[in-house]
Amino acid sequence: MIESILRATLLGLQLGVTFALVAAGLTLIFGMMDVINFAHGALYMLGGYFGYTIATQFGSFWAALVLAPIIVGVLGAAMEKFTLRPLYGRNPLYHILLTYGLAVMIQGVVLEVWGASSQQIPRPGQFTGSITVGPVTYPTYWLFVLVVSTVILTVIWYAIENSNLGILMRASAHDTEMVNALGIDVSKVFTGVFVFGAALAALAGVLLGATRSVNPGMGAGIIIEAFVIVVIGGLGSFKGAVYAALLIGLVTAYGALVAPTLTELFLFVLMAVVLLVRPSGLFGATEAA
Amino acid sequence: MSNDGSQQLGRRQSNSDRQHLSRRGYLAAGAALGSAAIAGCLGGDGDETLTVGMAVPTTGVYALLGESITNGFELFLEENDGEINGQEVEIVSRDTEADTSRGVSITRELITSEGADAIVGPVSSAVAIAMMETIESEGSAVWLNANAGDYRVTRDGCMRYHFRTSFNDWQTSAPLAQWVYDNIGETVCIANADYAFGNNSREFFREAFEEVGGEVVEEVGVPLGTDDFSPYFDDIESSGADAIYSFFAGSDAVNYISQGDDFGLFDEMVQTGSGFLLSEDTLPAQGSAAVGKYSLLHYASTAEQTQDFVAAYRDAYDETANVYAAQGYDSAQAFAAAIEDGGSSDIDDIIDAMRGMEIDSPRGNFRFNEDTNDPIQDMHVREVVDGDDGPENQVVETIENVESPTWDCSIY
Repeated sequence: MIESILRATLLGLQLGVTFALVAAGLTLIFGMMDVINFAHGALYMLGGYFGYTIATQFGSFWAALVLAPIIVGVLGAAMEKFTLRPLYGRNPLYHILLTYGLAVMIQGVVLEVWGASSQQIPRPGQFTGSITVGPVTYPTYWLFVLVVSTVILTVIWYAIENSNLGILMRASAHDTEMVNALGIDVSKVFTGVFVFGAALAALAGVLLGATRSVNPGMGAGIIIEAFVIVVIGGLGSFKGAVYAALLIGLVTAYGALVAPTLTELFLFVLMAVVLLVRPSGLFGATEAA
Repeated sequence: MSNDGSQQLGRRQSNSDRQHLSRRGYLAAGAALGSAAIAGCLGGDGDETLTVGMAVPTTGVYALLGESITNGFELFLEENDGEINGQEVEIVSRDTEADTSRGVSITRELITSEGADAIVGPVSSAVAIAMMETIESEGSAVWLNANAGDYRVTRDGCMRYHFRTSFNDWQTSAPLAQWVYDNIGETVCIANADYAFGNNSREFFREAFEEVGGEVVEEVGVPLGTDDFSPYFDDIESSGADAIYSFFAGSDAVNYISQGDDFGLFDEMVQTGSGFLLSEDTLPAQGSAAVGKYSLLHYASTAEQTQDFVAAYRDAYDETANVYAAQGYDSAQAFAAAIEDGGSSDIDDIIDAMRGMEIDSPRGNFRFNEDTNDPIQDMHVREVVDGDDGPENQVVETIENVESPTWDCSIY
């Protein structure tokens, strides 16, 4: 029993930090541009598929881990520049329709190019066995995912809080006009954030694509969890997204242990409770701010 | 069938006009022929084209299955110059989208406006159950069920129009019980996807396993479409059973097998299951994790009698033929044989010809049960081994002429 709880905890933390990589982009993009990006799950899926192709064609997981996020980042740049940018400042409904359409298109392309059968990214050779610590045996690769995601999140967190770029990002989100007036090209910051969010989602796609199957439904699957995380954490808050992602990861893992069929319900109940108690999410800006 | 009229009046027009014209043609024919058409006296005379309605998903997560069924069907036609009994065959495809209401509406469209003589499909059992009423009430097309294995189509539908050119879910579960008991052990833990098909398989296997003297010590249901299976492994492991029996398919099968391997689930327990757990569409992703596991199916791409089909399919589509392709191919074979034997495309003649028919299938010969139209076929226990191109299924034992229960269905 202790063993299964410890294993579920490890799984929950691992899912949490990887979900946070996906949700980070979603929440930052919303925070800065007020765009609800329904295509974010599709970008995660593209990360998984590019990762699969690179890892199987070149036989290197590491190449996949580096190249797939770069390719998806470039696609993200094109997406932002040619489709989203003309619609900034309009009714958010336009963004929802646009990004939903893009998500459907990307899924169609994936089905056309890679087909409908499930794939899996081959693991790097170093991480095939498992490690036993005390009563718990856990696969090495899954621990690797936990560590890598945690390191990346920590770096981003530090950068957002302390670096000039981070301060610029937060400033643009807070008051776009003022930052513009100070002579900074906000549209470049927007593109940068979008590309960064897309690359993070793709990175998560590669990391999880070697533990879960890569399939045409994975984008639509993760976007729901990501939205729940963003809403619980507070729209636009990176810190909130990280905490909420850990919460959701643990609920998912423990939920499967306790009541498998109710796990998804738990997520939404959790979201409802948070919204009732704190309508702006755990770390969302309050109305006054 | 009224498509004779629509053909003379409306077919062979451009695509955009066709729908409209053929509907008008249909009405005109109906008016002119009146009760003669309804009484089914038209037979096949003057019918130069046979129409086959493909009701399979071509988009979404089941697209691969639908595409394989269509490929198999078309392969047979190509081998026969696109003709059956000297008549040209036209295939009309409609996407079911694996959706029940869509399945019903396209079935009606295929039968009434396209004048389909046969309906091939669907993939999903839920869609099949929804389609039953339409097929029965239209009563003018033979239904070649090329995948939807739910036994309830036989039990509740029990329709003379319905012929399974595939399998039913009893066949892919229950017959394995005796083999597991004889070769692996006396206790089993069942782990299955928690939805109709998975639960049917669980019930059938448990019943059969207890009948041969074994004991099912634990049952673990996992929601359909689960990404992370590790929380479920403890229950399976702590059951201490000799073997696991599973029904999972598609991405569930990939996740279950590869994560089970990660967590050492198969170190102590032998994994067995329905054939969809370890099939051509999941093996490449499962990789070496799949090796040494056993499953039951009516098809194995490595079986001797299947090699001609696999070679022809590879020539045509550059892929290893999967079970769905074989089911599509057999649907075409059954339809062609029925038209040739009965000499007409009249629905009653087709059904008469097809009743109890034996089919020389790539999977090995099978025949339709004379009471239920379900197949009586050999089931293969297969073990995954390392092949030249990655893991593949080898037949370790064949259970011959597996006849399923009739569920009180007696059509004739």
